[in-house]
Amino acid sequence: MPSSDPLPPKESALFRKLLKCYEMKQYKNGLKLAKQILSNPKYAEHGETLAMKGLTLNGLGRRDEAYKYVRLGLRKDLRSHVCWHVYGLLQRSDKKYDEAIKCYRNALKWEKDNLQILKDLSLLQIQMRDLEGYKETRHHLFTLRPSQHASWIGFAMSYHLIGDLEMANSILETFSQSQASIETHDYRHSELLLYQNQILIEAGNLQRALDHLHQYESQIVDKLAVQESVGDLHIKLGQPALAVPIFEELIRRNPENTLYYSQYFAAREFTEPADKLAAFKQFEEIYPRAMCPKRLPLDVASGDAFRAALDSYLRRGLRKGVPPLFVNVRVLHRNHEKAAIIEELALQYYENLTRSGHFSREDADANLPVEPASALVWTALFLAQHYDYKRDTEHALEYVNAAIEHTPTLIELFMTKGRIYKHAGDPVEAYMWMDEAQSMDTADRYINSKCAKYMLRANLVKEAEEICSKFTREGVTAMENLNEMQCMWFQTECALAYQRMGLWGDSLKKCHEVDRHFSEIIEDQFDFHTYCMRKMTLRAYIGLLRLEDVLRRHPFYFKAAKCAIEVYIRLYDKPLKSEETIEEIDSENLPPSELKKLRSKQRKAKKKAELESAQAAQAQVKREQHQKSKQQANQEADPEAPQLDELIPEKLERPDDPLDKAIEFLKPLQQLAKDRIETHLLAFEIYCRKNKILLMLQSIRRAIAIDATHSSIHACIARFAQALSKLTANGELNVSVQTVIDKATKELIGTKSVQQLNDEFVAQKSDSIMHLYEGARIMYELDPNKRNEAIKLITSFDINKVKLEEATKIFEALRSGAFGECTAELRQYRTTCQQRFKYARVFKDIADTESNAAANDVNHVDEKSKPNAISADEKTADL
Amino acid sequence: MTRSNIELGDVTPHNIKQLKKLNTVVFPVSYNEKFYIDVLEAGELAKLVYYNDIVVGAVCCRIDTSENQRRLYIMTLGCLSSYRRLGIGTVMFQHILNYAEKDGNFDSIFL
Repeated sequence: MPSSDPLPPKESALFRKLLKCYEMKQYKNGLKLAKQILSNPKYAEHGETLAMKGLTLNGLGRRDEAYKYVRLGLRKDLRSHVCWHVYGLLQRSDKKYDEAIKCYRNALKWEKDNLQILKDLSLLQIQMRDLEGYKETRHHLFTLRPSQHASWIGFAMSYHLIGDLEMANSILETFSQSQASIETHDYRHSELLLYQNQILIEAGNLQRALDHLHQYESQIVDKLAVQESVGDLHIKLGQPALAVPIFEELIRRNPENTLYYSQYFAAREFTEPADKLAAFKQFEEIYPRAMCPKRLPLDVASGDAFRAALDSYLRRGLRKGVPPLFVNVRVLHRNHEKAAIIEELALQYYENLTRSGHFSREDADANLPVEPASALVWTALFLAQHYDYKRDTEHALEYVNAAIEHTPTLIELFMTKGRIYKHAGDPVEAYMWMDEAQSMDTADRYINSKCAKYMLRANLVKEAEEICSKFTREGVTAMENLNEMQCMWFQTECALAYQRMGLWGDSLKKCHEVDRHFSEIIEDQFDFHTYCMRKMTLRAYIGLLRLEDVLRRHPFYFKAAKCAIEVYIRLYDKPLKSEETIEEIDSENLPPSELKKLRSKQRKAKKKAELESAQAAQAQVKREQHQKSKQQANQEADPEAPQLDELIPEKLERPDDPLDKAIEFLKPLQQLAKDRIETHLLAFEIYCRKNKILLMLQSIRRAIAIDATHSSIHACIARFAQALSKLTANGELNVSVQTVIDKATKELIGTKSVQQLNDEFVAQKSDSIMHLYEGARIMYELDPNKRNEAIKLITSFDINKVKLEEATKIFEALRSGAFGECTAELRQYRTTCQQRFKYARVFKDIADTESNAAANDVNHVDEKSKPNAISADEKTADL
Repeated sequence: MTRSNIELGDVTPHNIKQLKKLNTVVFPVSYNEKFYIDVLEAGELAKLVYYNDIVVGAVCCRIDTSENQRRLYIMTLGCLSSYRRLGIGTVMFQHILNYAEKDGNFDSIFL
């Protein structure tokens, strides 16, 4: 190993031993050896030894010392590739991949062909998705060691990832030619062939792919993949006749795979529903126990054929007592005609079952045997769920109560009752019924989790945690265990609950935890780079890489990010005062008794805060100790990842730059969730507050591209126009910016003033309450004198056409002062809503007035309506 | 065509609430907590009855050693009204008779 000052034989022998000790994880011995080398006064500052000592210390978990020594060693010997390599290893174990890549590159400068360094570098590059760099490194490895299989494969894969499929394929082709003998059932070779085939298909060479499969069929072990592929290729190549027997065979193998049926129809070239239905009938005869031939016809059929198929499907389900029967047919409700037939049939069943115990009059007349007694309760449940889907709370409750009367021991009934109340807008009642359901079977984790979720919707976070603790690990708080287990449904619901309660810090903490889970999942793929190459599971590996690329597209991330962005915007609009100043407010105006109470409360709060911080510190210390003991026990080569900063709610809710933090959450959404209109609406909110006129424009245009008729777009355009006019008045606009904007605004706004735009909008969209609401808000903003007119616009809309979520949003807006003082109108609107939405909690409480709408109130805003904190023009006194 | 399936199941701390609900609905008397604590100890003498996988009935018995006799006392035996006349009572009772026969040391069974 060339270095600035090579060691004499004795020391270099020791050094080699030191390396071995490190590899065998014998760190204590390694340290001793390093000490020996360094004790020699001539080499007390030998760079490489110092670096190795540092690395060994890192293996023992003494990270700070490790860094110190490695840096020292590096300084002493900048031209040693060993030192750079070691530094890179250190950075890698700390997950600082970018830095590590730099170190490796430096190491390579001094020793171009070091295999170990190249391999490590390639791993880091693929982890960071530096595909060009990966390709180069793989090429280099390939030229150095053409005899190793792994180098060929890595080389081919690097081209595949970059998109040069032809090259990838030719590499693999050459490689497989050079393969001497192939044992039978060689799984790895089979996977390689399938991987090559996948590349051919992705490149579009379908005929070649097909020939390839036929040629190597005997060597491929995954017969199912071959069959599916060949069938699919025949269809795509326009040879459907050849595909028919293949898919018949596949259906025989697995009659429950819906994809096979659709492929079969493509192969038979069926387009008419009648043909498909006939085929389904045949399949049903051949495979009488399969569900697909019974359920799939319902999607295809219509009219009488639909009715007949549905009849037999429902009867079978109700007779057997299938709990998710409604869920199975719920998607059919989107078609109004089918929904009507479903309702008719279900009501018929119910009527006849109560009367004679049969499903229909004909059965009763024919004196067929009576249906099982449980059929009635399942039918009642089905009807309850059906009416709940239509949001007809009265009927739904009627049927579910009848069902409970009939069979009070069936848990699903209570669950459904809870769900009905949830949809009707009463989360507290909903939670109570769900709790009842949960208590009847405490061994069932599903109902336990559902109950926890309903508690969170009712803002009962402590209770939810308690319920979850029945199933979480002993000795750890439920919150901590759920965080460890990456239980994101719980965390997102918690975040939303805290947001509703106005506990911004806690809400942000949960959102950050969820974000960290996603980062962890992306981190975790590191080990798979070596593993999958070794095990040759290449198709799965490529699938993993592609999944990790779009990981933050997942709905959980979207929920958490949306919540976080909303909270940050709210904190920007209304920053929280620092903790000391809060105490000083209002102390003069209170009478002495109140003052005393306030002081004692403050004292208690301070004590609690101190206790909590002490606990947090203790927990931190305990965790460090625990980590240390774990490290001492395991002697891992890669000690625990650096402890991430503790998330403290008080700190989180007083950020210095809330909008920048919000943008951090927004960026992955803009990249991966481009097709959701909420992404762009949220982006607009942020950029509006930052006064970035061009970005505002971009967000509007993207939103319009997705759904030009969305009600919020108009509000965005109006605010954009206002901001624009302000900027042009101040003369702050750059000339080129001006031209871009002018072109764009010509389409959006033309030459109208904001006032005109709004008036036109209101006139046009008078049949949609949400559009009228947006228009009314702007009307009031532009001209406070038009308050009554604005309010009347909204309140005079026919309440029967308004959905619960919309009514709640409007009500909250009126209450929070978005339209100024309007107590009388508010009360009026509340009464109207109460009559329509009898069960909605938000419209209850006659005694509630403006002053009671404090942040501490358990605001049962329905989960779908957003808190009004987003709008910049809120004139709230107390929220 | 799924014909009615009647099965017996054990009473556990996890599903005791279903037994309580059943008794509340079926019987005019309400039983106190001690009753249910004893039920959990009763083993084969306390059973839930499932009709097509729904709890519709239950039977709870006790070994009674009064009057110098070892007798089997049936404390509760009942079924939801919508599910009567389907043979569920027979199944429950048959279970008790089997138990008594297997044990062999009962002087009588009484309600």
